This record gives sequence, C-alpha cells and structure tokens, in this order.
Amino acid sequence: MAAIATRRWLRFRCKLCLTLAGQRAGPCGQTPSCRFYSGSATVPKVEGANITGIEEVAIPKKKTWDKVAVLQALASTVNRDITAAPYAFQDDPYLIPTSSVESRSFLLAKKSGENAAKFIINSHPKYFQKDIAEPHIPCLMPEYFEPQIEDISEAALRERIKLKKVKASVDMFDQLLQAGTTVSLETSNSLLDLLCYYGDKEPSSDYHFQKSEKSEELEEAAEENDEKSKKADHQFGVTWRAKNNAERIFALMPEKNSHSYCTMIRGMVKHRAPVQALNLYTELLNNRLRADVYTFNALIEATALSVNENMEDKWNNILELLKQMAAQKVKPNLQTFNTILKCLRRFHAFGRLPALQTFREMKAIGIEPSLATYHYIIQLFYHHENPSKGSSLIIYDIMNELTGQKFSPKDPDDDMFFQSAMRACSFLRDLELAYQVHGLLNTGDNWKFIGPDHRRNFYYSRFFSLLCLMEQIDVTLKWYKDLIPSVFFPHSQTLIDLLQALDVANRLEMIPQIWKDSKEYGHISRNDLKEEVLMLMARDQHPPELQVAFADCAADIKSTYESQDARQIAPEWPANCLNYIAVLFLRAGRTQEAWKMLGLFKKHNKIPGNELLNEFMDSAKASSSPAQAIEIVKLASAFSLPVCEGLTQRVMADFAISQEQKEALGNLTSLTSDSDSDSDSNEGK
Amino acid sequence: MFPRVSAILPLRPLSRFLLCSGGSEAPAAAIVLLGAPHGTVRTKNNAQRYFGTNNVIYSKKDEQSAPTPEISKETESQESVKENTKKDLLGIIKSMKIELSTVNVQTTRPSSRRQLKSVEATIGRLQKAPEGVPKKRTKSLNPELVAAASAVADFLPFDKQTTKSELLRQLQQHEEVSKAQKDGERAKISVSTIISDMKVAKSATSRVSTRPVHQIQFDEGTDNYMGQKTDDLKKSLRKNMLKGKRLNIFDLKAVTEEAPETETAPSLWEVEFAKQLAAVNEQPLQNGFAEMIQWTKDGKLWEFPINNEAGFDDDGSEFHEHVFLDKHLKDFPKQGPIRHFMELVTCGLSKNPYLSVKQKIEHIEWFRNYFNEKQDILKESGIQFN
Repeated sequence: MAAIATRRWLRFRCKLCLTLAGQRAGPCGQTPSCRFYSGSATVPKVEGANITGIEEVAIPKKKTWDKVAVLQALASTVNRDITAAPYAFQDDPYLIPTSSVESRSFLLAKKSGENAAKFIINSHPKYFQKDIAEPHIPCLMPEYFEPQIEDISEAALRERIKLKKVKASVDMFDQLLQAGTTVSLETSNSLLDLLCYYGDKEPSSDYHFQKSEKSEELEEAAEENDEKSKKADHQFGVTWRAKNNAERIFALMPEKNSHSYCTMIRGMVKHRAPVQALNLYTELLNNRLRADVYTFNALIEATALSVNENMEDKWNNILELLKQMAAQKVKPNLQTFNTILKCLRRFHAFGRLPALQTFREMKAIGIEPSLATYHYIIQLFYHHENPSKGSSLIIYDIMNELTGQKFSPKDPDDDMFFQSAMRACSFLRDLELAYQVHGLLNTGDNWKFIGPDHRRNFYYSRFFSLLCLMEQIDVTLKWYKDLIPSVFFPHSQTLIDLLQALDVANRLEMIPQIWKDSKEYGHISRNDLKEEVLMLMARDQHPPELQVAFADCAADIKSTYESQDARQIAPEWPANCLNYIAVLFLRAGRTQEAWKMLGLFKKHNKIPGNELLNEFMDSAKASSSPAQAIEIVKLASAFSLPVCEGLTQRVMADFAISQEQKEALGNLTSLTSDSDSDSDSNEGK
Repeated sequence: MFPRVSAILPLRPLSRFLLCSGGSEAPAAAIVLLGAPHGTVRTKNNAQRYFGTNNVIYSKKDEQSAPTPEISKETESQESVKENTKKDLLGIIKSMKIELSTVNVQTTRPSSRRQLKSVEATIGRLQKAPEGVPKKRTKSLNPELVAAASAVADFLPFDKQTTKSELLRQLQQHEEVSKAQKDGERAKISVSTIISDMKVAKSATSRVSTRPVHQIQFDEGTDNYMGQKTDDLKKSLRKNMLKGKRLNIFDLKAVTEEAPETETAPSLWEVEFAKQLAAVNEQPLQNGFAEMIQWTKDGKLWEFPINNEAGFDDDGSEFHEHVFLDKHLKDFPKQGPIRHFMELVTCGLSKNPYLSVKQKIEHIEWFRNYFNEKQDILKESGIQFN
C-alpha cells in the first residue's frame, strides 16, 4: 500500500516537473530549469507506462491501524506456556500461587493494593501534585471527587450529580427549591437517574472487584433457591423504600416527561419494588406518555418478580406487555428477550415451550441472540433435570448453531454460557459435545467469555472430569499436562477422577507423580485424596521397582500426617491409610518402617486388617524370624482379632519355634478363645 | 502446489473474466511469472503484470484442467511404491474370514488406514447384522442351548413361544458378537504386527460413524449405515430449536424500520450498562505485550510507532495535504518569476516536517499579502501580479 502511494506521489511530482519545465522554457531561459531536467530524464518512460494501466488501477483505501496494532501483532505470537502459572500470577517466585485458594488471594491482594493506593491518592490529592512524568500522564494524577462549585446553583447541582454524590445532590436540590429556584427538567431527570440507579444510597466507590463478587453470590443464591435468594437479596442489596428521596423529588417535580417515569420504574425494579413499578406504569399510561424499551425490559422483570401469581398468569402478563410494546411501536432489543428468558428460568419445566417460542421470535425479527440467551435456555433445559428421566437434546442444536462463531459482549450474563454448556456436557456424559464446546471457546477471542476465576475453574474441572471418564488415558494425560497448572489449579476431586482413570487404564505407575503434583497444588490435607492414592498403590502386587517408588510415596504421605501432628491437632489417622502404608512398606522391603507402622496402630487405637497381618506373617517367614511371627500373633490377640487363631496355626506350621515360644503362643490363643467378648482384659495384658 | 491448483479448478470458469478476483490466484500467477520472459514485464507496474499475463494464466490453467484425472493418477502412481509394500498387508486382510454373506467389503483405493477402518466397520456391521438374517443363525446355535431355552420358556407364565424366541435371539446375538470380535481381534493383531509403527486407534469404532463413509464402498447402499441412522434418529426426535411456533407479537418490518433516533446524552443507566458489558470479557492479561497494550490504553506507556507519522498529530490532516500545496497557488500568476518563486516555496514547504498544514498555508498567505503590498514595485519592474 505504502509503495503504491509513493508511486502515485512520484508520478504526480513528475507531472508537476514536466509542466513546470514546459512553462519555464519561454521567459526564464535555460539556466534555472536544468536542475529540474536533470532529475526528470527518465520521467517520460514511466509516464508512458502509466497511461495504459491508469484506468484500471483501483487504489486501495487508506488503512487506518489501531495505535496498538504492532503490540497486538506481537501479543498474538506469544502462546501460553504450559509449564508455568498464568502470566497474571508471575511475580517473585515466593509469591507465585500454586493452588486455587492462593491464586485467589494473590489476585485479591494485588487488586486491593491498587485500590488502596488509589484511595489514598484520591482522598489526599494535595500531597500528590508533583508531576514526575514527562510527558504528562493524566491517569497517574489524583482525580478530584470533591465538588468545586461552592454556591447554590443548578450548575453546582449538576456537578454533584456528575460526581455521583447522592446525598449532596439531594441537599443541593432542596436548597435550590427553598431558595425558590426551579430546577430544569433535564437536571432533575439526571438527579432522578442517580437516585434510582443507586437506590437513594451513596454508591460504593469504584471497587469493582468486591462488587462483582457480591453480585455473583446473589446470582448463585438465586439459582439455588428462589425464596432463599429473596432473603439474601434483602440482606445484600439496597431495597426501595417507600417515600425515599427519589419518590419525594419525583412528586415535587412540576413537570414530568416520560424519561422521569421511565427512570423511576427502572429504579423500582432494580431495587425490587415490582408492585410500585407496575403501578407507576399505569400512571405513565394515564398521563399519555410512552415508555422506552429499557422500561419495558424492567417491567417484564417486575412481572416475573411479583409474588402472588402462578406461572401461567405471569407468562400471560409478560405477553401482554410485549403486545403493548408492539402496539406502541417500541422496538424490542436483545435485553428484552434475554430478560424474558431469564425470568422463564424460574418457571422450570413450564418455561420451556415459552422459552423456545421467545427464542424463535427473536430470531424471526432479526435480533441476534447473545451467549447469555443460550445460557438461559441451557439452564432452563438442564439445570433442574433429573438424570434418570430422558434429557433434552437442545444443546446439540445450540452447539450446531454456534460452532465457529465469534462473539462480542452484548449482555452482562454472556460470560455464563461456557460454564453452563460444560455443565450440560458433563450431565449428558457427552465427550464429543464437550470437545465442541471447548472448540467454540477457543475460536477467536471467545476465551474471554469464560468469566471470572471460579467460573473458569468450574468449566475446566467439569471438562477434565469428563476427559478422565471417557477419554483414553494417553489423551487425558496430554490434557492434564496442557491444562494444569497453566490454565487452572485442580480440585482434589479432579485429581481423584484422574487417579480413577489411571486405575481403569492400568497406569498405576503414574501415581507417585500425581501425588507430587497434588501436594504442589495444596491438597496436602485432603484425606479422601490421600486415601485414594494409598488404596490404589496398595491394592495389588507390583514389580519391585514400582513397589519402591510406591513406598517412597507412602512415606511422603505418612510424613504429611506427622508434620501436621507437630503444628496442630492432627486429623485422625484413618485405619485404612495405616493399613495401606504398612503394606506398601512391607512390599518394598522396608520392614523396620512397617513395624513402626504397627506401633502406630496401637498408639492411635486402630485395628490392623487381616490381610496386613497375613502379609506381615509372610515377611516374617521370608526373613525366617519366629520372634517377629510371634509378635504379630501377640498384636492380633491384643486386638482380639478372629484371625489370631489362624495366625497361630501358621506360626506353628511354618516356623521352627522353641518350647517357650510355643507355650506363649498357646497362652495367647487360649486367652483369645476364652474371652472373645471381653477385650478389656486382653488390653490389660 | 499441484493439488492446490487442481482444487481451485472447478471454481475457475466462473471467475475467469473477473480481473484481479482475489488472492487465490496468486500461486498460479507466481507459476506463470516464473516462466514468462522477465525483461518485458519489468518496466510495467505491478497491477499491469496481472492484467498482461492474465490470459496466459488462464490458458495454462485450462491445460491443467484437462488432464486432472492424470494428475490424480500420477499421485496415485507415486503412491504405488508404498502400495506394493502394503499389498501383502492387503492380502492378509483379504484372507481374513469375514463370515457374512450379505456384506462384501470392497476397498477401492487401498490405503492402510482405511483398511483398518473397513475392518472395524465390518465389525460394526457384524454386530448390527443379526436382525437381517435370522434363519441362518438358528442353525448355528447349539441344540442343547435351544432345548434349555425352551425349558426356561415353559417355566415362565408368559407366552411361551415369544419367550423362547427372545431367549434364542439373545443367545444368537451373544454368539455372533463374540465371534465377530474374535475375528476382528485376530485381524488387528496380525495387522499390527506387520505395521508396527501404525497406530491402531481402539476407540475409533465409536467415531468412525462421524467420518466420511464414502471411502469405503459397500455392495449394498450406504444409507442404512449405523452411525448415520442413529444420527438421523436423533435429529428426527429432536425438536428443532428454530422451527416451530413463535410468539407472533412483533412484526419484522416494524422492528427493522429505522426510527428517527433522537440524539441525547447517555444517561447514567446507559453508562453503567456499558461498563458492565466491558467487564464481561475482561480477563487477566495473557502476556507481557497484552500488558503493554493495557498500559498504552491507560496512557501510561509511550505509544509504539505504527507508521512514519507516529507522534505527529496535526489535527488529523493527511499526508497529501502536507505535500501537495500547489492548490494554494491558484491566486498567483500562472507563469513568471513569482510563480517560479512560489513553486520553490511550496516545494520547500512540502518537505518540511515541522510545520503543520495550517502553518504552511499561512506561510503561503503571507507571500500573497507581501506581493500584494509590493504591487507598485512589481509594476515598475514589469512583472504581472494579478
């Protein structure tokens, strides 16, 4: 492009030279023009070549590049490093998080540090006046949040509204009113906007991080239980109080236009006062004003929120509102339909047919659904589904529709789609579909819609669990390497799933590695995980090298129990774990440690399993030590185990034992057989 | 290169008369240019090159389009060496006993992978076949089993005949399946011993159904192929999301109609909604460059230059406004020393990167005023100034 432009320019210059030269030849003589000619000797040829082609040349439009185009190009060359933590976590090695909990607190710490600094700078702007940067960097300078206009005027009111000072604005409005000045409609409307948006409360300052957390909790609560969520809503959010400043100012306004009504209705719905909102809507109609599309969206929500009606009535009310929209020639938008679908979610099975009809309606009138639209439909069809009943196949339709598309954010709930789609996949146990969803996630910039940290974790743990369940082990392990830890940190359940997959595929030799990883990801105190690891290692006999590796791993797990002992009250040693560790030590030939494990049984008042005792007997036999064998029998009898007798017989048969030992054995067996029920006396001995 | 060209071929006749129709012909043009005499083309500009040689390109292509089958044959013959090595493998597979009269597997274009698939496909069909030929099967069952089954049927209070036949069918299926799998396994083992470096995808059976079927030609039609059937079934069972009743409240016309938009300042609601939307796809930064982009957008970082005009902000005026200043010389005489002088001035100005367009125009203005003021002197020296 640049080349063509230059050529064009050159051509122009040449033409210019030619005409100049021609003119000059007359009055001025040769001397000055030779300068020009010297350069233009080749010009005619070029000119001639241009003549033939000049009509066809379509000069491309000038391409305007984004100012960060080069950086974007560079950024696109960087791939994810599968061996490292995500870039956002890269920091001092000591601080790099290795588990999901740590990563969360890492991000929170970083963000709260930023917020704290901003807070200090903004609350004491006078100390941060020195402008060090050259050229000036505006975003590093303190922002002024204090109103600058002191006197009582409409300008002052506007300034306070702009700074989102709710209380100050209301005071200013009152003062103006007392002074007898009338506030213009526009200003009072923007004041109403402010009051209605924040529900007559001072906005919590710009701490997006915490705010979003809160709304998520609300969302989750809403999903779980409607009634509960209402309570939670009242606790967390701001509720609309009757006779609040918004209502008062609204009543005081001498003239009201549709904007005033609309913003009031939206505020009421936002702060959960649906009945008042619907009443105000009738008032608006009585005043022969028209509501805008956003207000209708709010009203649809209000209809769904209203309490004392059954689903059918609610649905009819929503339809009624839509008809009014059509009658008033208000064009619906994406939010209209998303709101309907969002509300239909609460109707469970009843909502399905209306939801599909709504979806078709929006397609028919040419409104492109966003990811949130599909999210609502998936939720409606799969969330309350019972796996035993036949499940809907609608997600296949959705995925066929979506595959290959790229999205831009259109709805605040757009980032919920991938999570719910993956949930449906794992619900349907369909790996093929999961791959399809994952493919969609990796199309273009769609990965940005995966949502905040916990949603990403949810998505990937579901995906990975599905892989463990359905995919070949080699492929699963590939995914394991690819996703962990560079994309997410696994839950202990995820690792247990992986262990089970390894078990199914008979790849138990991987277990020590997995244990090492899970230790790194902070699952050191997860008993279920540790038990799973030990159980899989101890279940079968393995070749000696593997047994050695397993014993090392077992020793490692044992040490996790012990180190906890020192610091805090130990979680109970589960009997199973003691058994497994002892068996693993025995099989690897670490007899002494195994014997120490036996001591632990006594200490923690746990009962060794029969198989374990038999294995001990085997090892005693292998080392042909009758003393050890007798020790085992003693232990068994101390716990008054039924296996004791069998063990005694084995000792008698397999070992060459002295007379004394025989007698001792005889005593033991008689004791146990005598007092099977009375174990206390045995313990005394 | 060749397969690519031949892939484009079917499209070609349509777009033949379109000039410069797109990037797809670039490789073809490149081929031609290699062959063409260089000297003649060189002086012409780029665009012309394409026009000039277009005919050549297409005639060449026509030549190519005629012998397409030959090309494919050629590629086949190239493969024939490989094929020879595969032949013994083929023999093994052919000698495999596929005891199924209804299906003859014919592999037209043998390649080892496909054969494997065909083996698997046969297994699939074997497993599916039982409904097809029930008569033959009854014979293959052990008479003792039949007797036992009828005894069980007698024992049960339901319709004896159906019970018996059900039991027998079940048994047949068991036998059939196990036999087929035995055969399949034998084949797989023999194959995998011969071609050790080839991967035998065990799970492929489940996925074969989604792959194109036309690679394997069955004597019967392929339409009752198992995978397709279930897919079709699924499709027919599924209520299509897009087809069906809609609400029928809104009218497409009314909605698409452009209403006169009244320009108003965005209200707080809209501003906050936009903020929410922006937060939807906010993700932690992926790499250092992404972070630099973020900083650039925040204004914390010097803007990385993307062209020669980086950091040169002249109220959005374009490059040509800086360079072509002749249009400002309209009021000056068409010839003579003043014209000459002014042309030199504009020439100098056009090369000056330090002045803005406005300043350059002002500069020219200044000269106009200057010459206007000096009208009398100019007249004296016999020079015309307007």
